[in-house]
Amino acid sequence: MVYIFTALYCEAQIFIEQFRLIKNQQTNWFQEFYNETYNIHLTITGVGEIAASAAISSVCSTYRPTQKDLLLNVGICAHTTKNNGIFLCNKIIERETGRTFYPDILYYHSFSEATLVTGMLPYNANQDNTHQMKSESADFLYDMEAAAIYQIGIHYFGPHQMIFLKIVSDKGLVSQVSKEQTTLLMKNYQNCIVDYIMHISFITQEINEYENYFADKEETLIETFCADLHCSKTMKDSMKQLIQYMSLTGIDYISIIQSMYNKNLLPCKDKREGKLRFEEFKRRLF
Amino acid sequence: MKNLKEDYFNAFFSHIYVEKSIFNHARTQKILAKFPSATVIEIHHYKDVFCRSKQNNALQHCSQKLILAAKQGTLLYKGAPVCQSFGNQYFYYTSCIMNCIFDCAYCYLKGMYPSANIVVFVNLEDFFAEVEQILQRHSLYLCVSYDTDLLALESITGYTQEWHNFAAKHKNLTLEIRTKCANKLFIENITPISRIIYAFTLSPQAIIDAYEHHTPSLLERLSCAAKLIQLGCPVRLCFDPMIYIPNWQQHYEEMLELVYTTVDIQKIMDVSVGTFRISQDYLKNMRRQAPKSAVIWFPFQKDDGYYHYPDDLMEQMEYFLIQNLQEKISKEKIFRWKL
Repeated sequence: MVYIFTALYCEAQIFIEQFRLIKNQQTNWFQEFYNETYNIHLTITGVGEIAASAAISSVCSTYRPTQKDLLLNVGICAHTTKNNGIFLCNKIIERETGRTFYPDILYYHSFSEATLVTGMLPYNANQDNTHQMKSESADFLYDMEAAAIYQIGIHYFGPHQMIFLKIVSDKGLVSQVSKEQTTLLMKNYQNCIVDYIMHISFITQEINEYENYFADKEETLIETFCADLHCSKTMKDSMKQLIQYMSLTGIDYISIIQSMYNKNLLPCKDKREGKLRFEEFKRRLF
Repeated sequence: MKNLKEDYFNAFFSHIYVEKSIFNHARTQKILAKFPSATVIEIHHYKDVFCRSKQNNALQHCSQKLILAAKQGTLLYKGAPVCQSFGNQYFYYTSCIMNCIFDCAYCYLKGMYPSANIVVFVNLEDFFAEVEQILQRHSLYLCVSYDTDLLALESITGYTQEWHNFAAKHKNLTLEIRTKCANKLFIENITPISRIIYAFTLSPQAIIDAYEHHTPSLLERLSCAAKLIQLGCPVRLCFDPMIYIPNWQQHYEEMLELVYTTVDIQKIMDVSVGTFRISQDYLKNMRRQAPKSAVIWFPFQKDDGYYHYPDDLMEQMEYFLIQNLQEKISKEKIFRWKL
């Protein structure tokens, strides 16, 4: 699942249309949209770090993302020197605390990369509210959610699972950016964002298929086998590990188990007999 | 993970994280100059990147990043009990680089470090100063390539050469440079010093193919060892860790045959023998990160916080190798690791 978080509806619109997302009517707290075919879940958080934190916590506590999932924060931002462009953030600084976060940039992409500063107030080029960041490079992006999203997100996702894509809307005059302009900006970059989402979803899926260990059928067989051996919790863990090793080294453990059933060695009548059979099974290893 | 398409990932060292305090350090600039297209990201402290929670070691190995930093605090450590001291009383090790470009499935670094990214400490002079302080009190046997493969990173850092030059000036310092590398370029230009030991970790080719990803072949390692012996450098062969695979006897026998035909075994300084063992905490981390790596899912035996092969198997494997080696070299030159 790709969990997309945007601050505003006008930032989410391209995803709702492109992936034909359906509004989740069962949630009252935040606007949520989803499409299970595309494995996409979108939430509109509202503006600011507190609103974003609340939304991420709510969504992640409800849906419990795993290492198979991705978090994508997309939205408009200001830039200190540029008027436009789309950027992948490799460094996020929380303006109020000075804390810095580094999402992993493992996957190939075609975006420019940049540092992003997150602040509680909108960036205003006419006011000297950047003095705290002067020690950093003069070139940076500025938004109002990313640092919070990272900090809450890291409880549920790894740094390689969190992606921050920002589209520059202004140089510090956010009040002049209308909803219509935001929608238009998002549309300008729709293709490259969607391509990127599809690309990383595919990679993540492939990685997880590679890592997905026991098939359900095998899991059931192991459960039955352990039950018939009267395995304790410790023996069961040990058996699972043993079978994992056998499987990885190409030992046909399923045939070994089935032959034990064929010889009427299983099910065992008690724990004592189970332990003997367990040892017999272990001896097949070397 | 090695089966995944390489073009999914950013290039090796596509991003270089640099501590702000050492940005203008000569070594930093020298290393950065080798990667002109890398994205350079300024950081406050290397741990801000290296010690983040929930990093995925296996994925990071597909796109390793470089971190340039200054090491503070303790720079030299006393040799760990799982490491072979080779009879040296003052046995220390140091980590001027953390992590390795090779990707050995059984490597303890995967369990010890929270990240697969490589940290290079550029303040090598501080390491030298601490070594000199100890040398004022007593001699020192120092392993400089434990938590990395220094020789494999030589083209980027030049650290083996720097340690080499440093050791040349200090008569009571003995260095061990452990490697799986076959850096012929470095060897061709080396000036032999009797107190710098080049220690090659050797495994049967079947184990290299299965578990020691991106490392040179057994023959390449042995050719390098042979060349160093020819030049008059002390060379150590480390059959440590020995790894269990089906038909291990045959694979280890074939390996030794290749050793005997490639290197002049009589001129070897010594050899070490030991089967795979690892602390329980490291193994736990490694298993969590790599659910498909057979070598670490072996049903090990646990004693005193360390996992190792079952006693019978451990004894059988080590005895097999030692017996074979004793036909060619004297007992005194064979060091067997004991828990």
